[in-house]
Amino acid sequence: MTKIAVAQRPRSNLVSRRGLLGMGIGAGAAALLTACGSDNPHELSFWNFYGPSPTPSSTSDWFRSVTDEWNRNNDVKVRPRFIAGSAYMNGNTLQTAFSAGSGPDIFLLSPGDFLRYQNGGALLDLTPYLPAGAREDYVKGALDTRTVDDRVYALPMEIEPLVIYYDKRAFEQAHLAESDLPRTWDQFLDVGAKLTSRNRFGALFETLPGYYQNFVWYPFLWQGGGGAVADGKSIFDSEPARNALGFWRETQRRGISPKAALGGGSGDTPSNLVAGYCAMQQSGIWAVADLKTQAPKFDYGIFPLPIPEGGKQVTDGGGWAFAVNARGKNPEAAARFVAWALASTDAAGVDRARRWNTVAKTNLPPRESVRKAAEAHGDFTSGVLKTFATSIAPTLRSEPRYPPEVYKAISDAIQSTQLSGNAPGGAARQASDVIDNFLLTYRGGSIL
Amino acid sequence: MRRGAALSADRHKRETRAAWLFLAPDAVGLLVFVAIPMVFALALSLFDVDGFGNYRWVGLDNFHRMLSDPMLGRAIWVTVKYVVLFVPLSFAFGLGLALLVWNTFPGVGVVRTLLFLPNALSLVVIGLLWQFLLVDKQGVLTKMGRPFGLGDVSFLGDPKWALPTYVLISVWYSMGYQMLLFLAGLNDINGEHLDAARVDGAGGWQRFRHVIWPLLGPTSFFVLITSLVASVTGLQAFDLVFVLTKGGPDNQTSTVVFYIYQQAFSFGHFGYAAAITVILVLFLVIVTAALFKVTGGGRLHAR
Amino acid sequence: MPVETTDVTRTVDAPPRTPPRPVRRRRPRAGHLARAVIAWAVALITVFPLVWLLLTAFKPEGESFSGGLPSRWTFDNLTFVLTEVPFPRYLLNSAIVSVVVTALALLFHSMAAYALSRLRFRGSGLVLSAMVSTMLVSLPVILVPLFLIAKALGLLDNFAGLIVPMIFNAFGIFLLRQYYLNFPTELEDAAQLDGCGYPRLFWHVVLPLSRPALASLSVLFFLANWNAFLWPLVITSNPDLAVVQVGMSSLQGQYASAYNYVLAGSLIAVIPTILVFLLGQRWLIESMKSSGLK
Repeated sequence: MTKIAVAQRPRSNLVSRRGLLGMGIGAGAAALLTACGSDNPHELSFWNFYGPSPTPSSTSDWFRSVTDEWNRNNDVKVRPRFIAGSAYMNGNTLQTAFSAGSGPDIFLLSPGDFLRYQNGGALLDLTPYLPAGAREDYVKGALDTRTVDDRVYALPMEIEPLVIYYDKRAFEQAHLAESDLPRTWDQFLDVGAKLTSRNRFGALFETLPGYYQNFVWYPFLWQGGGGAVADGKSIFDSEPARNALGFWRETQRRGISPKAALGGGSGDTPSNLVAGYCAMQQSGIWAVADLKTQAPKFDYGIFPLPIPEGGKQVTDGGGWAFAVNARGKNPEAAARFVAWALASTDAAGVDRARRWNTVAKTNLPPRESVRKAAEAHGDFTSGVLKTFATSIAPTLRSEPRYPPEVYKAISDAIQSTQLSGNAPGGAARQASDVIDNFLLTYRGGSIL
Repeated sequence: MRRGAALSADRHKRETRAAWLFLAPDAVGLLVFVAIPMVFALALSLFDVDGFGNYRWVGLDNFHRMLSDPMLGRAIWVTVKYVVLFVPLSFAFGLGLALLVWNTFPGVGVVRTLLFLPNALSLVVIGLLWQFLLVDKQGVLTKMGRPFGLGDVSFLGDPKWALPTYVLISVWYSMGYQMLLFLAGLNDINGEHLDAARVDGAGGWQRFRHVIWPLLGPTSFFVLITSLVASVTGLQAFDLVFVLTKGGPDNQTSTVVFYIYQQAFSFGHFGYAAAITVILVLFLVIVTAALFKVTGGGRLHAR
Repeated sequence: MPVETTDVTRTVDAPPRTPPRPVRRRRPRAGHLARAVIAWAVALITVFPLVWLLLTAFKPEGESFSGGLPSRWTFDNLTFVLTEVPFPRYLLNSAIVSVVVTALALLFHSMAAYALSRLRFRGSGLVLSAMVSTMLVSLPVILVPLFLIAKALGLLDNFAGLIVPMIFNAFGIFLLRQYYLNFPTELEDAAQLDGCGYPRLFWHVVLPLSRPALASLSVLFFLANWNAFLWPLVITSNPDLAVVQVGMSSLQGQYASAYNYVLAGSLIAVIPTILVFLLGQRWLIESMKSSGLK
């Protein structure tokens, strides 16, 4: 395959240059009337929220370099298309395109959307395209939520665990020392109260309803041994769920947490923690890179999510995956691209994945070989990233892939207790009933 | 006599043909881009549609399901509250402002312009702007509210405040437009009527009550209908919610249109979303027709 | 009838230099003054958010939440948005779409309105009701079916897709029809005698007479299309076709924490609408009056 592609390279370059020229000439008038090249099986669209973005960024660069490298060596070209994060995650662009049968060939998929797309038959089985040994290379559990009946339907590109970030200066101002860093919920509430002032909130948890809010709340549910679905039945009406709902409600009741985050929400540390809006903030590992580029002088630390008395240390590992549209123009080529981009086991492939996880962005790599390469490069050997790799990684649990109905029931329970201050007991029971009702008729991939 | 009849028949034919030709572009356009999608929506409501090209005939199941959907009930309740607050408030503000700037005074043109200005903005920008102004603790307006004990209020984040805030922003957005409509109506009022009333010794309120208000009837009707429709299905019922709150906090701003959108695009229940749409449009048709009947529709169908 | 219409129109929106109606002159001075003061106060409160936006766009980084004047006036934010982000491209796209939609919509709507108001033919009432009833449907509600149709017609990802489906809107037909109803019948009779056909009558008599109504509708349509967000977001995927509201939202997505840039972008997105409105508001108010909403 590679050989042929190399041999053909000069010719295909010529063609594309001529194509470009033609497009340039006819652009004005032709663009008005024709949808150019949308059915061409040699051009695959790749929708994502990283690049090529209108403004330069390291994540955009990575996407561009990966697609460029692929396009240099292959006849079937991959055309990345940037959609702003807010529109991609909360918007309708992707769904509208899919419902009209013109979804992109390759796209980024979050765990929260996995089952809906899988049950809809929109995802191509990537298993046959994975290089030998690739599946074994993924760290334990990393592929579970993208697997149905032992077939892999999406390839994760990262693992993003959640922690609490804190503002060291705010701690000093409140006369709190390193030893005061809260380990339990009660301690967290006390410290949060001490850090709350006229202009600053003690702690920030997400308030906007959506997949993201559920994602960051799940660890608190799991810490006490709770969950949403087990053996085809709801297990949400439980002590751990009520406690977790109650914990978040308490941060509101005591005035420690705002009812709305700034900027891009509670995952956005520059807008909140750095801006002095809050002193502690729950966010993911991506914030390390955000803070490094956007607020290099900001003095911060991280600590694991607080746990209930007697609870176990656990955090939620999010992360997006590449997926292939099973009804795309050329699913086979698209799958080859995805497998090549994320799962190649040769040195170049490992390095490509390492660059995404440590240079373009900060994540825990989902593959062992990539982790080793990153460590060899000196990443994860010092500072907060070391903490992530050594003390947070072992407590990881993959972001669940609940169907939208389950997600929404839990979301309603969180919103109703956190923001309206309703009793956790009633909210948990109601959510549980909705989930059970839904499970009666649910047919599809197992709910993990 | 016979020649005249033939002439008029010929003329009638020509007139009919001309009329259809004139109508053609818009008729075709509305058919293709509004009517057919509507019929499509109606058809979708009888299927289970997952958004990935899979259709399954379910008959009236989607309509049945509405009866036992508590969140739909909640969305309807939110819309009802929104309509009940928004329609009268924007009506009162629109009319009040129109009366205020009806007379000329220094700078009246500028004042009218300033009052209309919010309506010229995009809802994307409006949502962004108000989010900034109303940020907890640090927003400019939040800080201004501090002396009044509102410093710790989260206007868009607190379920108790979110809907009223959303209503006020909507009123701010649409009052200028309604003011213009009322101004147009007011300017049609003959000065002589007012003069006569004044000679009869009528005070300001009486002149409003007995001369201005009755003559504004058709304008009021139009304003009422348009703001009702806008507040149920219009941009402000969707775009503004989408940019301001995403339906939160605690579903307190989740209007019916937003709920429809969520059902379709977040959950992939396109059939169910279409069924709600059908009921919603039906409801609007009935309400509009009823209002038409009751009020005589002003002179909307004059001639 | 029409004479009266134009007459009143002239007084309606009279710039201050035209003498006020005698009725008003007799008003008590104090009341008049109080009203003016209140009106000014309300107007200033109304535009406060916009003034804040204007000031904040010139504030250096880190002052985005402060009230009052910038500590230092800077063009950095605006420059950044105009040079580092393809904002000029967004503006151009929006301008093309808004102008073309407005022009075509005005032409088609006035044709339809003319037929529905001045020509007698069987089924005219039915057509009118059918068209008016489409006013009850909003875009979010028919987004998916509309998208399917647009796709079938090859309107994905090109200017035609941004433009064509947005032209058709019964509101414009309805308003223009109300306006045409007020034309005197003599107008047509005279034209008929000259042997003038319907198209020529429309082009040479009706259109010129409807200038004020068209002018005001053009302002409304331009604003509506400039501000459109949902449809452009869904129908285009080529970044070169991004319109200004879509560009704005992606700016917000990318620079969530760089408020100064986001606000500068908002200001730039808003300026054209304000300009168009300022230039067009006279017509807007005038023809609202003559649109038959009385």
